[in-house]
Amino acid sequence: MSMDPFEVRIQFLALLKRLNASQQSIQKVVGFAVKYFPPCGEDLWDCIVEECQKGSINSRINILYFLDSLCETCLLVRSHSSSIGSDPVNKQYVDFVNRDIGKIVECIVPAGREGLPNLTSTKQILENWRSKRVVDAQTIDDVLSALGKRSPPVASQAPPVASTPSHKKSSHSSLSRSEVFKRIEEDRERHKRLRERRWVQPISHRAPGQMNLLSLLPIGGENDQEVLPLDVEFENDWETTSDWNEDDDEAAVDESELCFPAEGEGPMDLS
Amino acid sequence: MQSPPTPHSSSKYHHPYFTPAEVEYLSIKQRGKLSVTQEDRVRQNACAFLESLGARIGFPRRTVATAQNLYHRFHLFFPRKDFNYVDVSLASLYVSTKMHDTLKKPRELLAVSYAIRYPDLVAKSKHPGGEIDIDSMDQQIVERDRQRLLSIERLLLETVCFNFTSRMPFPYVIKLGKTFGASKKLTKLAWRLTIDCHRTLVPIQYPPHIVALANLYVAALLSSFEQPIASDPGTRTPHEIAAILGKNGDWESKYQAQVDDLEGIAHTMLDLLVQGVQIATLNNTSPRTPSSPSPHPSPRMPHPLMETLASSVPYNAEQLTRLKIQMRQTEHEPRPRQPLGSADPSALYSGDDVGLLGRSEGTVRFLFGPAGAGDDF
Repeated sequence: MSMDPFEVRIQFLALLKRLNASQQSIQKVVGFAVKYFPPCGEDLWDCIVEECQKGSINSRINILYFLDSLCETCLLVRSHSSSIGSDPVNKQYVDFVNRDIGKIVECIVPAGREGLPNLTSTKQILENWRSKRVVDAQTIDDVLSALGKRSPPVASQAPPVASTPSHKKSSHSSLSRSEVFKRIEEDRERHKRLRERRWVQPISHRAPGQMNLLSLLPIGGENDQEVLPLDVEFENDWETTSDWNEDDDEAAVDESELCFPAEGEGPMDLS
Repeated sequence: MQSPPTPHSSSKYHHPYFTPAEVEYLSIKQRGKLSVTQEDRVRQNACAFLESLGARIGFPRRTVATAQNLYHRFHLFFPRKDFNYVDVSLASLYVSTKMHDTLKKPRELLAVSYAIRYPDLVAKSKHPGGEIDIDSMDQQIVERDRQRLLSIERLLLETVCFNFTSRMPFPYVIKLGKTFGASKKLTKLAWRLTIDCHRTLVPIQYPPHIVALANLYVAALLSSFEQPIASDPGTRTPHEIAAILGKNGDWESKYQAQVDDLEGIAHTMLDLLVQGVQIATLNNTSPRTPSSPSPHPSPRMPHPLMETLASSVPYNAEQLTRLKIQMRQTEHEPRPRQPLGSADPSALYSGDDVGLLGRSEGTVRFLFGPAGAGDDF
């Protein structure tokens, strides 16, 4: 079934408006976006950015989590395509994210009190993207530092929570109690999922059955322009690993004792 | 041999490292009728399979490396003829995911395993990312494979005496790289060599800091042997590092290592590289890989990670062999290791005990160390 671009846009907008915090909802929209990237990618991207600008604060954070899954899927598709020898696939929406990330973050975390509910989650996702090189490290650093430079909202102002359910909603959306609790629960689930996935490294499709040693692959130039997925973990660890210290001296002694006999010790008694 | 312990109560001690003599003895025993070449091929297939699984799932290095170590360890205790490498690899990976807190359920591992082994299933899959929906597979087969995985898991846990501590060489590669003034690029090569090192039995014969230092040494050798000196301000050249680590020095006592350890490991790594280079050179460029033979592919094209292109292999076998010969001329006496005891270590898993393993009858105590080891409180 092929739809014309206009129809695709209409359907996508409808999906976006119904997007919620659940994985099921996210995957549905991701699937649609990826399927129609050729030829409607730019257009669908515009819809996403528009929804970031116009939607409620809650729907904006839902979009950010959706973007996280979308990027993950785009990279997976790209890796798989090149592994089966298909025509090279670009990074699809990931390139748009890289291009427009400043604008998106400004919408998702608007200045002042209004953006506060989205601040923590946004930082977590940005750090996740940095660590996996979904977006290059320098760009993320710039965005995080811009977020950090904003003057913090005055402490005496409470976040927008209604004290009674009948509190009138203003255009800067004060949320009802039940909406607030629902949001807290959604955040808890999403943070938990992010934490559980924190160890995941960028994926690549490698052929088994051959002795393709990593040492024989090109080591790359000195500039950090394109980091191979297989080197991302090294890049991160290079930045974060502490220098050799006394703990390492102790560990080395421990392991050496386990491995090499001290003078006079015979073979291990295995009885 | 002593009489086996009574079935109702016995103790087993964690044997964290093997001596070369033990590896030799046990390998011969478990190899059975297979030739050394055949054994090596199965071992490389298993390690490559684990590397592929790890890359597709996005496991960190420690998870894949430990899985490879567990695989090697398993086949020092259990004969190759009784097990298929896919089952043992998957079980090793599953145990490793628990040890390193990078959990994946058996069915998830199986799904990726099927995707790797059955590309036609992948072609039929609706998922654009090449994933297989395990619910759409024959559940009898999946369940059979899952049960095999779990039964081998039990045996694996017993080979490590349920000891989940595991120090890895990777952090040491960076610490030692920086300590010795290596450039980031040289350290990255050492890191990759350390990854490849887990295709050999080196990591279960030497402690992780020595494995790391040895691979830094190999990186320095590869980058300096018959190469011009290129100085990079603020770092030591590979030639300087190779010179330091190639002879006795203060670094030995400071880092609990000996020059002969590094030499022994370097020879094993060079043999592995020679093998890898020969295989890569035999494969012609497949029509599927991108046509660019440049070792610096344009960022817009996918990188040729499927097969190493023959033209981009950075070393040749003759050069590596010349390096080995040069090293032999200045090599040092290897340090003494524990002599092979009269008790066959794999006797832990033979005789009357075999019926007990993987079952829950009788009491078997699994201890992290033999009596007297580390008891100085």
